[in-house]
Amino acid sequence: MSEEHPALSLRGLAKRFDTKVAVAGVDLDVPTGSFYGLLGPNGAGKTTTLSMAVGLLRPDHGQARVLGYDVWTDPVRAKQLLGVMPDGARLFDRLTGAELLAYQGLLRGMDPAVVDRRATELLDVLALGDAGRTLVVDYSAGMKKKIGLACALLHGPRLLVLDEPFEAVDPVSAALIRDILQRYVVGGGTVIFSSHVMEVVERLCSHVAILADGVIKRVGTLAEVRADRPLEEVFVEVVGGRTATGEELSWLSR
Amino acid sequence: MAVPVSPTGSLPVGTDVGPVRPVRARHFVRLKLRVTANNFKGQSWRIVLYVVGAFFALWFALGGFLALAAPGLLGEHQAAIIVTGIGGGLLTMGWLLLPLVFFGVDETLDPARFALLPLSRRTLLLGLCAAALVSLPTVAALLALCGLVVTAAALGGWAAAVAAGVGVLAGVLLCVAGSRALTSAFAAMLRSRRVRDLAAVGLAVLAALLGPLQIGLVAAIAAADWDRMAAVARVVGWTPFAAPWTVGIDVAEGRAWAALVKLLITGVTVVGLLLWWSRSLESAMVGTATAGPATVKNSGPVGSPVTQLFPRSLGWLGRTRFGALTARECRYWWRDARRRANLITLAVVGVFVPAVVNVGGSGFQFDGAEGFDVLTSASPVAVSLSMVIVGALAAVTIANQFGFDGSAYAANVVAGVPGRVELLARIAAFSVYVLPMLGVVSIVLVVVLGEPGWIGLTLGVLLATYGGGLAVNTFLSVLAAYALPETSNPFAMSSGAGVARSMLTLVSMVVAAITAVPILVAALLLGDAWYWLALPVGAAYGVGMAWLGAYLAGDVLDRRMPELLATVTPRR
Repeated sequence: MSEEHPALSLRGLAKRFDTKVAVAGVDLDVPTGSFYGLLGPNGAGKTTTLSMAVGLLRPDHGQARVLGYDVWTDPVRAKQLLGVMPDGARLFDRLTGAELLAYQGLLRGMDPAVVDRRATELLDVLALGDAGRTLVVDYSAGMKKKIGLACALLHGPRLLVLDEPFEAVDPVSAALIRDILQRYVVGGGTVIFSSHVMEVVERLCSHVAILADGVIKRVGTLAEVRADRPLEEVFVEVVGGRTATGEELSWLSR
Repeated sequence: MAVPVSPTGSLPVGTDVGPVRPVRARHFVRLKLRVTANNFKGQSWRIVLYVVGAFFALWFALGGFLALAAPGLLGEHQAAIIVTGIGGGLLTMGWLLLPLVFFGVDETLDPARFALLPLSRRTLLLGLCAAALVSLPTVAALLALCGLVVTAAALGGWAAAVAAGVGVLAGVLLCVAGSRALTSAFAAMLRSRRVRDLAAVGLAVLAALLGPLQIGLVAAIAAADWDRMAAVARVVGWTPFAAPWTVGIDVAEGRAWAALVKLLITGVTVVGLLLWWSRSLESAMVGTATAGPATVKNSGPVGSPVTQLFPRSLGWLGRTRFGALTARECRYWWRDARRRANLITLAVVGVFVPAVVNVGGSGFQFDGAEGFDVLTSASPVAVSLSMVIVGALAAVTIANQFGFDGSAYAANVVAGVPGRVELLARIAAFSVYVLPMLGVVSIVLVVVLGEPGWIGLTLGVLLATYGGGLAVNTFLSVLAAYALPETSNPFAMSSGAGVARSMLTLVSMVVAAITAVPILVAALLLGDAWYWLALPVGAAYGVGMAWLGAYLAGDVLDRRMPELLATVTPRR
């Protein structure tokens, strides 16, 4: 039944903070089984958009549906299908990795035996088992991203929403995260993540949307958006940046 | 040394510092004012709270001014000695200890933010000190203390007035430096996990120090022996606690040398406190580095993840949402330095308040050879009232329970936890710590008073008030949450939040006390039967109120989870 609905469907999402418009009407359809990259410069509204899509931030206007269930009017059903990794250190980080996973699992009403089995496996696969009784607050940045991903995956969601999963992650952890996400998509899951690392997006994504100033500027499959050019070129052209003339900051050179 | 010069003639980065303009204390003051003003932008409720706070501060300042100026205006020389010595000493004590217990320190200028700037420690210290002086409480205190100058002027003319003025300034400096040094040191202690228990002991010792002082004071008042009071005041006047406040009186009495020595004592103390602060400041600036390295502990039996989540003493909890929430909250009350600081404070105050109200109220009598002897004339009403205060204080701790979580609360929002389950679990976890504490307080109190038969009374009133307070504070925590700054100092408040927190505490205490009124009325109506009925009735009332609070507030929480998350997420 869910096949007829996109995994995530946003309609006219808008949010204003005081006087600043953060997101000005975003429409987006994330097809089931796609690996979707949400690109944008800093402050484009990526985090705001994703927060509204998963029920963390109430939008001023618009709708967000996960596999047909409205996130804001039917949150229970929608949230069961959702796995979320919010930006920053939004974790209960005074727990150990194992404790955090057990907490997340039970919080979602899972069977304790299943929680134990999956948590142990996730810690093992993500190479977090060695951390033992270390609190998450003492983890490195890469380890924090990995435990965040584990929390999002634990209940077997149909849609993964990840905010900057590759930020501040070393190449080894990044490869591991990439690998797990690819396997998840092959297995029928859907991933949407925000990033400004072109190289990762080019390698992973089937679909891309470029967000700037709170509006979607380009959207489509990777091939459509790129049109035989490097993605970075398209991105800079869409977003519009300044190019250095070589004259300024002369005091920096010896 | 030959400095390589580039073709354009500029020096290499790092050697050319150019003319550096010195950083002065006024820069820090301006920065603080600017940050405070920016915090008000677009937050009209904060402005309202601040104005209300300012009004209260002014009110108290006026009252204090009149109280301190009265001895001089009335020409009461002895009263002036007592007010400056004992009153001043208490003021200093309060200034040092209250931030630890109730209000926290305004950390608008977080020392850690200056870690990367090329500032000497001296510049930083003086700057932060100057910035700390510019605050509502300090200004209010300064206004009130002008009363001392009036008293000195009335008793000893302009010379005494000038001396008193200098003394007041030095005293305020001492208080500010002292409170900063103390909170900073305690923060450093609580931050390091290894010595946190030591910090608990430290606070307990501090409270224990307050006890004898209180008792001595009450004994003196009870004896109403003004000569002896004045003698005590003169002695206290030579300690750093009251030295700066008594300077004016000394000059008025024609002992300029004493005034000089006292100012010297104050100066040395201030320097000592600044040095102490400067040491703990270093650890505050490097912050996380001293929080202890991430040691991998693999010792001990490691169960399955779910088993690990539940503390051993709570193993009987169901492996459900409620169980998981309760277990996580229990772990957090101990592992989070901010929450732990609150718990420790509560334990100290929980012992301290009943001691003051009951033991102090009935009076200790000094019986020559027998020493201090507790009079067992404490009334059931006084006992009940002190229990109301303790119960309300205990419940106030959770008034900003979501603020402790900060942005981590997002996990619960994403998981869609029902509001009632969330709130009930939080109440349960907090009670795991508080109920035993309340039990100990009641038992110790009735044993000390020599009235073991009152145990039902004390426990019943305590549970009723605590339950009522939980209901009130559960609502507050959902409706009036605020973000705590992301710093390692558990006593830190973001600017503006200090006023908000004091107001919330006040409101919640008053309302919690009101919820206890039915129980107190029952105590008056039922007479002797109440000694037996108090415990079951009080416990049932408390549990009922707490449950009702969670039930009703849970509905509200269900509707405004994202809004709550937004209010507790610190602004970056």
